[in-house]
Order: sequence, then C-alpha cells, then structure tokens
Amino acid sequence: MSTVLQTKGLCKTYIVNKHQNNVLKNIDLSVEEGEMLAIMGPSGSGKSTLLYCVSGMDRATAGSVIFAGKETAKLSDKEMASLRLDEMGFIFQQMYMMKNLSVLDNIILPAVKSKKTKEKRSQTEERGRALMRRLGIADIGDNDINEVSGGQLQRAGICRSMINSPSMIFADEPTGALNRASSDEVMSQLLSLNEDGTTVMCVTHDPKVAAKCSRVIYILDGCIVGQKEMGHFLGGEAELRDRERELNNWLLEQGW
Amino acid sequence: MFWRILKKDLRRKKTMNVILLLFVVLSAMFAAASINNIIAVNGGIDQYFELAEVPDAVVQIQEKCDAEDRIRALPSVSSVKTEHWHAVMSSKVFIYKGKPMNNFFNPACIMSEDEMAIKYFDENNDVITDVEKGCFYATAPFSQDMDLKIGDQFKMEVDDVQLDLKYMGRLKDALSSSDSASGPMLLFSNEDYDAVADKESLNKIYFEALFVDSTDIQAIRDIAKDYDYISVGTRQDFKSIYLYDMIVAYIMMAISVLLMITAFVVLRFTIGFTISEEFREIGVMKAVGISNGSIRALYLVKYLAISVIGALIGAVLSIPLSGLMMKSISKNMVIKNDNTSFIGLLSSVAVVALIIFFCYTCTRKVKKLSPIDAVRSGQTGERFHKKSILKLSRSKLPSTQFMAVNDVLSSPKNYGIITVIFTLCMLMMMLMSNFAVTLKSEKILWLFALPESEAFYFDTEDLGDVMMDQTKAEPFLEDMEDKLKENGMPGKCTMMNVMQLRTKHGDKEAKLTCMLPIRTTAGYLRMDEGYAPMKADEMVVTISTLKSLDAKVGDRVTMDINGEQRELIITGRFSGFYTNGAILSDKFDYGNMPAAGTMGVAIHFDGAPDKETIRSNIDKLNEIYDTDKILTTSEMIKNMTGVSDTLNSIKKMIMILTIVVTALIVVLMERSFISKEKSEIALMKAMGVSNGSMIAQHTLRFGLIAAAAVLLGLAVIMPLGNFMFSKICLLIGDVSDIKCAIDPLEIFLIFPAILITVTVVGALLTALYTRTIKASDTASIE
Repeated sequence: MSTVLQTKGLCKTYIVNKHQNNVLKNIDLSVEEGEMLAIMGPSGSGKSTLLYCVSGMDRATAGSVIFAGKETAKLSDKEMASLRLDEMGFIFQQMYMMKNLSVLDNIILPAVKSKKTKEKRSQTEERGRALMRRLGIADIGDNDINEVSGGQLQRAGICRSMINSPSMIFADEPTGALNRASSDEVMSQLLSLNEDGTTVMCVTHDPKVAAKCSRVIYILDGCIVGQKEMGHFLGGEAELRDRERELNNWLLEQGW
Repeated sequence: MFWRILKKDLRRKKTMNVILLLFVVLSAMFAAASINNIIAVNGGIDQYFELAEVPDAVVQIQEKCDAEDRIRALPSVSSVKTEHWHAVMSSKVFIYKGKPMNNFFNPACIMSEDEMAIKYFDENNDVITDVEKGCFYATAPFSQDMDLKIGDQFKMEVDDVQLDLKYMGRLKDALSSSDSASGPMLLFSNEDYDAVADKESLNKIYFEALFVDSTDIQAIRDIAKDYDYISVGTRQDFKSIYLYDMIVAYIMMAISVLLMITAFVVLRFTIGFTISEEFREIGVMKAVGISNGSIRALYLVKYLAISVIGALIGAVLSIPLSGLMMKSISKNMVIKNDNTSFIGLLSSVAVVALIIFFCYTCTRKVKKLSPIDAVRSGQTGERFHKKSILKLSRSKLPSTQFMAVNDVLSSPKNYGIITVIFTLCMLMMMLMSNFAVTLKSEKILWLFALPESEAFYFDTEDLGDVMMDQTKAEPFLEDMEDKLKENGMPGKCTMMNVMQLRTKHGDKEAKLTCMLPIRTTAGYLRMDEGYAPMKADEMVVTISTLKSLDAKVGDRVTMDINGEQRELIITGRFSGFYTNGAILSDKFDYGNMPAAGTMGVAIHFDGAPDKETIRSNIDKLNEIYDTDKILTTSEMIKNMTGVSDTLNSIKKMIMILTIVVTALIVVLMERSFISKEKSEIALMKAMGVSNGSMIAQHTLRFGLIAAAAVLLGLAVIMPLGNFMFSKICLLIGDVSDIKCAIDPLEIFLIFPAILITVTVVGALLTALYTRTIKASDTASIE
C-alpha cells in the first residue's frame, strides 16, 4: 500500500486581535491508500482545521502536506483547485448545495467543471444518476434542494464527492446533522466506497461512526495525542458493538 | 438590549451597511440636484426676465420719429428707458487672429455701457455694471462656430478707426442672447463706443429700443401703428427667443427625472436586498420572544441612522452636481436656483422619509413569518422562489457560462431590477444623442417650413437689399439660378422671408410670424388639417395661432399690411417650430413692405447629388459669392437651433454621469452579491472550482444583464425618443408627429460598448474580491 497523504511538522496559526492562536502544532501524519481514518477530539481541538489544511482548502502556516506525491504548498491556487476537483472529494456536516441548481445538477457540477474526462454532458448525467441509484436517491434528481430531506441531501453530497472518482474523500462530521437512521445509511455508503478502494478521512464526534473506521486519531489542543488501529470493519452488529466498546475505552484513556 | 443589538448589527454587517449608505448618498444627491434643476427650469425664463428687469413692453424703433415722446405721454406708462444701438453691417470689420470674421449673421449691434437700460449679465451670471476701455462683451451668436476664450484679442476696423479689443466673455442679454440665427449684440466701453459711433458705416440703420413699463400695452401698439419701422414686443413675445434653449432645459429636466427614478429604484432594491439577508436574525429574535414591533423598530432605527447620515452627505454633494447640470442649460440664460441648499435639505428629508417607508414595507414580512420560517429563509434554498428553468445536465453551455446564466435566471427580480437600471442609464445617453442629432438633422427641415433643399445661402449682407425691398427677390433668385447653371450645377432657388403682421379675428388680435414663400408654393408643408395656401388670400397657421385668434380652419381673419386691412382665409393648420406662426401663399401681395427677416435662399440642386457633390457645389458657390455663408441643410439647421453643440456637451456630461452611476451600481451590487453568496463561493472553491472560473462567472452575469439592457434600450429608444421629443417640442412649439434622427455609430456601437465595458470592468474588479473567500469558509458560514 502506498501513502496517499503525508504531513510533516504541519502547523496552523491564527492571529485574532493581535493574539496568536496555534491551532495545529507540528502534526506528522500519514494516510495509506484504501485506509478509512477517523479524526476525533473535543471541540476546538483542531480536527476540522487539520482536515482543511491537508485537503488544501486552507493553507498551513508551516510544515508540509504531500498529497498524491505533490507538495501542496508548492502548488499555485489554480493547481490546488484542480487537484481538489479531480483527486479529492468533500462531504460537509451541513448540506451545502448550490441553491439554484437541482439535486442532480449539484452532483454533476464538479464533473462538468473537471477536465479529467472528456465525456459528453449526457454521459456525465448518466454517471450522476448511477451514483444516485447506488445511494438510493435516484428519484430526487430533478428536485430542488429545498424539496428533499436532510438525509437525502447528505447522500447527494456524497454522490457529489464521488462524481470525479477521487483518490481520497474528506468528510467533516458527515453525520453530525443527521438522525441515527440517516447517519447509519451515510456511514454504510462511506464504508462501501472505502471497500471499493477510496481512501476516506473523516472528522467525527461520534464513536459509533469512528468505530467503523480502520484507524482513529485523537487530537487535543492541536497535537495528535494518540492513535488506534481498529482493523478493517467487516460489518455486523456484534462486531460493531465490540469495536465501539474498545474505542470508547481507548477514548476514555485519552481524556474524552 | 435594543441598542446593543443595533450597535452589534451596524458593526458586524459593515460591508452591507456601507453599501447601503453609499446608495442613500447617491439617491439624496440625485434627488436634490434633480429637484433643483426642475424648479429652476420650470420658472426659468420668467425668473431670468425678472432678474434682467425686462419691462412690460420693448419698442424697437428703426427710424427717428416722435414715437418715444408720445409713448412717454401715455397715462398708463410708468417708466421708459432707452437704449441706442449702432449696427455693424458686416462681420468682417472684426479681425481675429489676423483674419476678418465671417462666422455670424449680420447685422451685429453695438451698445455702450452707459446705454444699458436693463440688466446684462456676464458668463458667471454677475450683473455687468461697467466695461473697461479696450474690452467688450458679446452675445452667443458672435462666438458661433468659434472657440473663443476670455482674453482673446480682436481688432475692429471701422472706416478710418481701428480699435484693439479684448473679449471679456459671453454677454447674457435677456432679449437677444439666444444661439439661434440672429445678429449678435456687443457691449463696449463708453470710450470705445464714442470712437466709432459717428462713423458712416455704423449709421446705415437707426436702432433705438424703448423699455416701457405700462399697464396698457394696446395703447403703445396703437401708437406704433402710425409708424412703418416700429415694432412692439411683450415679455411673452420675447420668450420665443429661448425656444431652443428651453428644449435643452426640458431635456435636462427629463434626464433629471430619469436619474431620480434610477436612484430610487436602486435604493428600494438595496433595502429589500439587505433586509432579506436579516431573516435569520429576525427568526432568532422572534424565537426568543421579541415582539414584531420591537424587531421592526430595530430595523427602522438602523435604517433611519444610515439614511440621515447618507442624506446629509448627499445634500452637500448635490450642490456641485446641481451646478454642473445647470451650467449646461444656462449658457445663454441666467437660470439659477437661490434655494439650492434649502431644496437639498428638503430633498434629503424626503429621501429619509422614503427610506423609512421602503424599510417599513420591506419589514412587513416580519409579521407574517413564523420564527422557523425566518430562520430557514436565511439558511436554505427557500429564498429561491423560482426554480431555474435551466438544467446543467441538459445544457450545452460550458459550466461557467451555465452558472452565470442560471444565476441570472434563478434570481429574476434582483437581476431584472439591475437590468432596468442599466437600461435607464443607457437610455439617458441614447436620448441625448438622438436629441442632439435631431436638432441638426435634415429630417427636421419641415419644422422650419422650408422646402427640400441641399444648400442655404445665408449672407444677410447680400440679402439685406432683398429684405428691404422684396420685389428684388425674384431677379436675385433668377440671377442665382443662372450662376448655378453656368457653373455646371443647375438647381432651383427659392426664398422664405419673414414678416411680423398684426392679425385680427373678431375681437382677438395677435402678432403673427408670417412666412412668405418666394418662387415656391407651400405644397411641401406637413399639414395637420386642411390644405396648403394656393391663392393670394389663403394662409395656413399653427395651432397656437388658432388659439390666439380663437379661430378655426376655414375662418376669415384680417391682416394689417402697412396700414391696409386685408382679409385672408385660414385653409389649414401645419406643424412647425413657430409659435403664432402663419404661412402665406407665394401669390400674396405684400405691397412694398420690407421683410423683418429671412430664412435665406434655399438651393435645390437638380438630380439627386450625393453628399460629396453637394459639398463641392457649396465650396464653389462660396467662392463665386465670396462668402462662406452657404451652408448645407444640416449646418443651416444647426445654426437655426443653435443648441446642438450644447446638447453635445450635455451628452458628454451624461455619458460621464452614466459611467459613474453604472460603475457604482455594478461595484456595490456585485459586492452585495458576494456577501450574500459567500457560502456558495466557498462551497464551489471547496469543490475545486478555480478563482478564475469564479471571477468569470460573476463578471459574466453582469455582462449578460448589460447586454440585456442594451437590447432593451435599443428596442425602446426609437418610440421613447420620438415620444419624449414630441412632448418636449410641444411644450415650446406647435409640433406633432416628430421623428428623432439617430447616429447609428453612437446608438449601436459606442453607447453599448461603454455600458458593457464599464459593467464588465466594474464587475471583474469587484469579483476579484472572491479570491479572499477561502474554501474553508464553508465551515464558518452561518
């Protein structure tokens, strides 16, 4: 397995009212291809900031981020945007969508913007519809975003993140705004993606979500204070309960 | 708590509040300047006449007689002041830059500083009290077609006397300072005047003007009837001098109205737009139990604070804008509004009231919304009421173009209003261009009741004899036709002389401006009713003549011709730039009466010569007659109206104003849109959309609405131009069914290019701000 993402001495500092706030402090991290990594930690610990810095959505103050062999700090804004478009997928906690596009159009927008493939618009549409079928939302493609439920929108967000077949998906609390049933559905889709070979990095507060990941990192005050190899989740209620218990015990050790 | 929320709101939404403040400034500025302008224009001439102390009647005497004594003896006369003028028969006595002048129509009149019986004004609208030796002022026709500046040196050669004179600028003479084709009036110092006054060549025509205040004008007219060379004009009569200046003033007024509409549309839109951004806060406030009244009061107080500050700044800024607008219409007149500051303040109060009213109506929705509705309106897609008709999956447009078009279509109200504003800006430029072109276009030749001609001979120095003795007109025109034939440019020469004739119908009496066609029938006239005069006792008149005489087509009127009462029948009504105008038959017997003026000799070349041939024919004729007063039809019309250049300078001002207004609207609107769409921009960036693509999308949507505004403007300019020009002309003349001329280059290329360029550049520069929005901002969006 090769390394998809690597950070060395990653720091992120904000200066607010002349006061320096070191959100990330010397983070060294490697993510292997096909891994499903969960980042946990209390609020304000720097989880989301880490996600944004490694995904190029924000620039690090110091240190390096190497994604798919490229050092992101050396990339221009345009190159970084292109890398995000073609090689990364994003899922947000809130169901951020373009408000004046239909659900299907929101999903295929990155594909239309991408120059990765030179397919016809009808082929893109078909790919979008296929993804929607896979996530069980085939019938809402032509709906406006205010006509569908939060769970459906989050699944549409997953479709959008997958449309360009990225090598890695970043998810920022993807189930944070969903009820348990929708949350389980979304996680099973992410697991399914991971099984197909897509690397997933997921920020979460929910041990039930993290228990399905192969590795969990615990972050506190901008530093990685611990990590736990969980192994591949094969599915099944019993296994999940065991993994959850194991993870909760570990989290308690970390000060959760 | 109320004040703390307000303080926080003002600070937190700094960008939108500053944008709103700027729009309030803009609205207050335009409203105050426009209202000032409208007030000044409406009372324009009356106010000017008051300032200049124009009396009830002006009696012009061209022959030494005892009329002055008789008028002074009238019991109804309270005051009589006199002015004596000397006529300069040829413009060539003035030498400018080593060459004799040949630009104005003769004769010019000179007057000394001591003779001033009414008030005369300089370029700065200050009353002239004295003239320094070696200096002179001159009315507009003197500087026609010349770019004269204060301080320019002239020589005046009269018989054996030579004077060195310094031009002190334009003289504003309430009775003769219009640009249109008339001789100029020059004001000299006593010393310079005395040096030339007794010279023979300045004493060919006697000029005396009596300025009479009287309660009985008819008594003065009765005296005037006893003399051949006396005319009596009332204030009302002299108003017609400013016919074309008033066109400019009314056009400026129309532009002011458009500017005001633009400002208020922008303001209403911005208030509605900013309040729609507050719905989430409104929802939260409602959820915690703050009453509807308190919530509305909060926003009303906020907008009151912004509008009071903005309106005060706007009122101050309106003073120079008002001055700039007024300057262009007060070239020949003293039009000023002494109440500028007061009106500015009043307009500002009106703007504040209007803003509060707009705000009150915009916050009406607060009452209807449930807390959750308000929260959701601020957060989700509910604000997009209209589903986009476009589908990315089915569109063939590239993604950036699609997103731009989709943005416009899915927010039709916002972009529709901006399109309307841009269209208004575009129309302002287009209307000015059309009016300026029309007032020098051959298309309006009919308004002067002149036959179709390619050239006009206008040298009144030569035509003077013909005017004094109209029987000389026929041989003069025949001789001219012979010369045309000899020089290989055969054509027909006709003439139109002007006489002021007192006419009666029943107990109604009016002094008509009668046009006498020579060697042409009046068959070319544009008749609104009846038919053109064919017999000696027939005439056609304008609608104002019918009103003045309380007559109708078919009525008989009595005309006073050299004391002889002649009966004529009104055969029709025509359209033309003549108030109290009449056109007689070419067979009309005018006795030995001299003409008061002439419209020159109209030359209609045989065949249909092209523009180049006409130009070369005119050059040849100018050589033959040793003059440069043979003009093309459009040059003649330009000289007659005399306002085309003024309109052109106003057009330039409007263009600058339009560029500034458009740029401001684009920058402020785009900045507002960026604020509103921050989440979408961050989301697209998170997806991997590049800055370039983002900027292109934002620029393109403004480009699209600019293009839509251009199309809309082009679609309505002709009917609107014709309608407005007809209405403006109707205010001052007897005109109907007028069609505007257009300059295709300006209308179809230059103005659209200006609007689109300003919009695109403004949007592009503002859209660069999207670069500061980071993909990670998705997380920090409310």
